[in-house]
Amino acid sequence: MKIPRLTTLASLAVLVVLALFPVIGIPLSWLNYLFTFFICLALANMWNLLAGYTGLICLCPHAFVGLAGYTLAIGSWVGVPFQAGLIAGAAVAALFALLISFPVFRMRGIYFAIGTLILPEALKAWFNYWRPVGNVYQGMGAGYSVTGVEGVTLGDTFWLGLAIAAASIFLVHIILRARLGLGLTAIRDNENTAASAGVNVFRLKLYSFLIAAFIMGIAGAAYYIYSPRINPVGGFNISWLLLPLMATVIGGEGLEEGPIIGAAIVTFLRFLLADYGAWSLFIQGIILLVVVVVMPQGIAGLLRQVGAYRFPLRLFQAVEGRIHENVK
Amino acid sequence: MSETAVLSIDRLNKHFGGIVAVKDLSFEVQAGEILGLMGPNGAGKTTLLNMIAGTYSPSSGRVNFCGRDITGLPAHKLCHLGIARTYQIPQPFTSLSARQNILVATKYGGKKAAGMEHDKIFDLVNLSEQKDMLARDLATVSLKRLELARALASNPTLLLLDEVAAGSTDAELPRILGIIEEIRKMGKTVVLVEHVMKVMVEAVDRIIVIDKGEKIAEGTPGEVMKDEKVIAAYFG
Amino acid sequence: MEDFLIELAPPLIRGILLGGLYVVIALGLSLVFGVMKLINVAHGDLVILGSYFAYAAMGWLGIDPFLSLVVGVPLFFAFGFFVQKFIINRTFRISLDAALIACFGISVVVQSLCQVIWTPFSRSLTTPYQLRSFAVGELTISVRYLLDFIGGLAVMIALREFLRRTYLGKAISAASQNEPVAERMGINPNRVYSFAFAIAMACAAVAGVLQGLTFYFSPVSGPPFLIISFGVIIIGGLGSMAGTFIGGMIFGLTQTLGAHLSGGSMMVQMLAPYLLVFVVLSVRPQGIFGR
Repeated sequence: MKIPRLTTLASLAVLVVLALFPVIGIPLSWLNYLFTFFICLALANMWNLLAGYTGLICLCPHAFVGLAGYTLAIGSWVGVPFQAGLIAGAAVAALFALLISFPVFRMRGIYFAIGTLILPEALKAWFNYWRPVGNVYQGMGAGYSVTGVEGVTLGDTFWLGLAIAAASIFLVHIILRARLGLGLTAIRDNENTAASAGVNVFRLKLYSFLIAAFIMGIAGAAYYIYSPRINPVGGFNISWLLLPLMATVIGGEGLEEGPIIGAAIVTFLRFLLADYGAWSLFIQGIILLVVVVVMPQGIAGLLRQVGAYRFPLRLFQAVEGRIHENVK
Repeated sequence: MSETAVLSIDRLNKHFGGIVAVKDLSFEVQAGEILGLMGPNGAGKTTLLNMIAGTYSPSSGRVNFCGRDITGLPAHKLCHLGIARTYQIPQPFTSLSARQNILVATKYGGKKAAGMEHDKIFDLVNLSEQKDMLARDLATVSLKRLELARALASNPTLLLLDEVAAGSTDAELPRILGIIEEIRKMGKTVVLVEHVMKVMVEAVDRIIVIDKGEKIAEGTPGEVMKDEKVIAAYFG
Repeated sequence: MEDFLIELAPPLIRGILLGGLYVVIALGLSLVFGVMKLINVAHGDLVILGSYFAYAAMGWLGIDPFLSLVVGVPLFFAFGFFVQKFIINRTFRISLDAALIACFGISVVVQSLCQVIWTPFSRSLTTPYQLRSFAVGELTISVRYLLDFIGGLAVMIALREFLRRTYLGKAISAASQNEPVAERMGINPNRVYSFAFAIAMACAAVAGVLQGLTFYFSPVSGPPFLIISFGVIIIGGLGSMAGTFIGGMIFGLTQTLGAHLSGGSMMVQMLAPYLLVFVVLSVRPQGIFGR
């Protein structure tokens, strides 16, 4: 079915309404949850780009997030403004991705997964015993606070998060419709055939990896502007991997709307179970297991199967038709 | 090496650990020629194709393509230079439609890739009615043809066909022979690995027989079939 | 120079003995990897669950952690069997990636469950003998490290005898070398997987006790053990008991010697095994045993 233009308009309208939230007096707790949703969404979109479209089960988002957060924090100690730190953090994450791409792309399938899982653990060990700046109260296990962000309001970080999430959706949308998306899907389906059809497998994987690292890095740095303190256990915490992994798999891996649905569910669960700490993670884990066993295509896959999108699409088409008639 | 050789293999060796898969193999394929490769199972035919197409790099020896040393180049570069291959067991992009499968080869197959229109390719391999189906929903016979279509879509100079006729019924054989004939008319050079004798006898200019990685016979189909070594390798 | 060598002896001994712990952990991982080509990323967490089980048994009943295994091993065996039957086998049918993600889900569930029940604080299995040591000549040997080594040797021999002598064991070995053979023997691969996972879990219960006697542990202590035991199987090779044993020793030594040579640096002790696994993976991406 052709997707009506109104879908684009509707998404833009949602974006505008969301952008207005901080100025129309929405409760602060809402802004907080929405911010976590945006960060989760950006991470999930990138994880989906890697796992869902390139076939790389990448278990190191926490390396990208932690590195970007540390770059921002350490930068702020040597006088780098947080705006520059944000970009620098993303750039460092991407640079790290570039450096590790040569060894990790030699590994395939399950070896790639484990190979990437080692990296954040190693970084965590490194940062646990490293103090590039500051005195004995900073660095190593204690970590750093991000300085120079006192003037940043919740509204500001909200907009930053919104912009990053919107950019991640837009980016995936563009990639999937471009030559790159076709090549990535080909690699995911069959690496050998892709290579013999002329696809430079290494280079395309690298593109996808760099894009994901950059966006995950910027999302991580944005989080540490919002919550300006980072330590090794927090920055390289496996929850930075669980968040996008669960959102993507629950929502629907390899489907464009999957991460959006999944990120919304994961954030909503956090909100519901905010007072129950570890139980929240337990329930998320159980949901993940149920989804993998019962509906491998995730919730979005299920929605597509039962044709849940047909009605809104028809509605949009009908409205569009009506508008056309009126214009005439 | 003669002037017109499209492919020239020079003392090629491949071993996996202690197992020798291809041993001291040398031959040439002339422009526009259709060369058949024969041999019992495990003789090293597919390994040879894999080395020409860049999936494996040889342990020693050289591969020349149109006068250029291509030994050990990666598969995608070889595709850009003009070598395309099909897989014995079809290896499609399962989540893509047949049309998109071919699109990958045209979009990534190199500068000269957009040689043939997609519709013509689909007509040629008799897949026109299934071109919008997902590859995972296609039957094996159709997938074999999709392999051919994808190989053609990158507009290669040299086609490596690995058992395109295997598994097809007698009724389908004329169709496959027809396709090969069409490919010949396009002026392409073909290396054909095949077990189906009828295809070998009718479509091929020259046959090389390999056994245990070594060349044991070479000649026209008629000559090779009478060769004692060949008979011994197959039936002995 | 002589002093250097004499000083080297204690970390050498400790590394080799500690290797026994890694052998037990790796054996479980290797068994599942062998038959399914799947790395159970929850394996480290399941070992920690084993430590907590012994911890709970000590708390409730006041029994020795090794005695708790009388219940622990069958319990973990049954648990593993059902996890494989109802979760992993089902996802494995879809794809290896789906099974990997299912293992991830199990890891999340186990970790958070440990956190809910036992809080995030560090624990250890405190026994009268745990911190003792005795002297052999000029060397002092810690009882807990010696227990690791004995445990490693015992589990390895028991597993080897099981794989060689029982029908089920032969089926598992066959499946890990060449599945068609196993199927031709008339063995249902799903059953083989289930039993392999169940035995892996039983190993995890034993490993949990040894681990708990050796180190402090918290609900998030699992992943490093996963990485190290993965390293052990790629260095030691699949299906080779001696290889696994040597692999375990190598990782024990990497840790203790790394720490010793760097002057007791915790960073080196933590980083050295990770770097070793990563380098081996990049040089031989399919592992040492792969083609």
